Amino acid sequence: MADHHLEIDNLVKTYPGALKPSVDRVSLSLPRGEMLALLGPSGCGKTTILRMIAGLIPVTAGEIRLDGRGISAIPVHKRNMGMVFQAYALFPHMTVAENIGFGLEMRGVGKAERTERVLKALDLVKLSGYGERRVSQLSGGQQQRAAIARSLVIEPALLLFDEPLSNLDAKLRDEMRDEIRDIQNRTGVTSIFVTHDQDEALSMADRLAVMSEGRLEQIGTPRQIFDRPRTDFVASFIGAGSFLTGTVVAPGRADVPGLGILHFTGDVPAGGKARFLVRPHRFVLGEGVNAFSGVVEHVVYRGQILTIAVRAGDHRLQADLPTHAATLPAKGDRVTLSVAPDDVTLVGEAA
Amino acid sequence: MDAKLARFAFALLITLLYLFLLAPIIVVLVISFDTRQYLAFPPESLSFGSYAKVFANVKFISAFWRSLGIGLFVGLVSIFAGLLLSLALSRHDFRGKGAINFLILAPFLVPHIVLAVGVMLVLGPLGLLDSYSGIFLAHLGITTPYTVRTITMSLMAVDRRIEEAARVHGASPAMVLWRITLPLVRPGLIAGAVIAFLISFDEATISLFIVSVKSSTLPTEIYHYLEYSTDPQIAALSVILILISVGVVVVVERLIGLRKAL
Repeated sequence: MADHHLEIDNLVKTYPGALKPSVDRVSLSLPRGEMLALLGPSGCGKTTILRMIAGLIPVTAGEIRLDGRGISAIPVHKRNMGMVFQAYALFPHMTVAENIGFGLEMRGVGKAERTERVLKALDLVKLSGYGERRVSQLSGGQQQRAAIARSLVIEPALLLFDEPLSNLDAKLRDEMRDEIRDIQNRTGVTSIFVTHDQDEALSMADRLAVMSEGRLEQIGTPRQIFDRPRTDFVASFIGAGSFLTGTVVAPGRADVPGLGILHFTGDVPAGGKARFLVRPHRFVLGEGVNAFSGVVEHVVYRGQILTIAVRAGDHRLQADLPTHAATLPAKGDRVTLSVAPDDVTLVGEAA
Repeated sequence: MDAKLARFAFALLITLLYLFLLAPIIVVLVISFDTRQYLAFPPESLSFGSYAKVFANVKFISAFWRSLGIGLFVGLVSIFAGLLLSLALSRHDFRGKGAINFLILAPFLVPHIVLAVGVMLVLGPLGLLDSYSGIFLAHLGITTPYTVRTITMSLMAVDRRIEEAARVHGASPAMVLWRITLPLVRPGLIAGAVIAFLISFDEATISLFIVSVKSSTLPTEIYHYLEYSTDPQIAALSVILILISVGVVVVVERLIGLRKAL
């Protein structure tokens, strides 16, 4: 048995007539029980990967292995996957219980056992008592739960989510986010979910795979992705921040043109160029090791935080400040922002 | 006051328009009760005599059953053919798709009299003139474009993700068709069958060219009857046919809602 439950090896998808591949040599693997988020802007190939795993579209090259066995040749209906669609895709002409029992029926599970397992699944997603309703009688959140139950009841090898929360309003989205994570923890089903929402990915997944233009940019835990982005794309797609490019003049010191000397932690040989990122919440008001003064150009009050943009030299620095201070900076004020060397993220070496 | 007047004028206009549209039917209905032996309006005295004569007319009765049988069979086969064509045309890409699409549209565009001549010239050498097979084929040709149309409309309204969800959760392609697609396109199938039946039941032009004695349909019998005599029997028969058409439409309306089906 392989170390990993699911392995994707150099997966490529080129649609007929397309100049560029939609998915370009993507490799990743999931241990059993993990929840992975495929994150990226629309058109980055994340949904294409999900559909290839499900078997809904053929792969152009590369391999998908489940428990060490290639599955590319297995037809969709024999792959034993669960999939939760964006618009739920429940069967409108069946009751909720018939929807959930559909996969079992297709597998030839007898009526008595089917009924029992459907009831359990309804209970798991907190829809007990809704079995006999028509799909159209359910709210959006309830339809979502029914769709999850329909996938879970067959005890799938993998549970695939395609933008599962994008059809829900904000409040329900937060609720379902916790709910899905909770159900996944309890059932321990290995899951992949596709999203373009970074908050969703950061809060729900064990690991994130960030994609751009068909390529895998970086894969790692939410913390690794957020605090140690390895590419400009990942750094700018996940969270906000100020990008700085400088020439390393000594270990841990870089000269950023138009700003000054930036102290950082990380190994870049002297003489090389490097790209840095400072997250807005890493800046503090006042003097420090890396202190930069400038004029406040823009202020947005957000309740718990105050977001300001400061013009320092040739750069515009974005900072999130806590709002419990006695006085807060206003537009036109001259302020000094500082950031600890540990809080400066080295994104990569620039050419 | 002006608004009230405008509303009254509008209601009057609509009533007149309906009267104009319905006038022929009303005249036929009234004449069908006339006791005279020729067609004239208004009637002098009324009775059910013409209806009794229609039901006693062996030619009409046997042609009616033939037309009914042909119509039902054409309706069934036409939705089967329409379903296969619609699935192929809306779900798959293949060479010659455009040509097939055009061929299906063709009977809409070509005058029936032209079609009739063509059908006659094709069926003749095959020995299918004045046969059930011949009239089935001819009627299938003119009804299938309609069933393809209604079924394609229904198919396009089906969310592909629903079929995908069924496949992912374990349904083979045949099962997806049987358990998901067919139930979801049912309105299109019913509407298609009804339209095909009504067209076949009503079709006179092509039938006149290809049937004579053995497979004569009700419309051809009516036509031949009119060549020699014009009496209120025809009006009575027309009223019966109108009632059948209205009956079918009402039943469909009750079953699925006509607006949904069309």
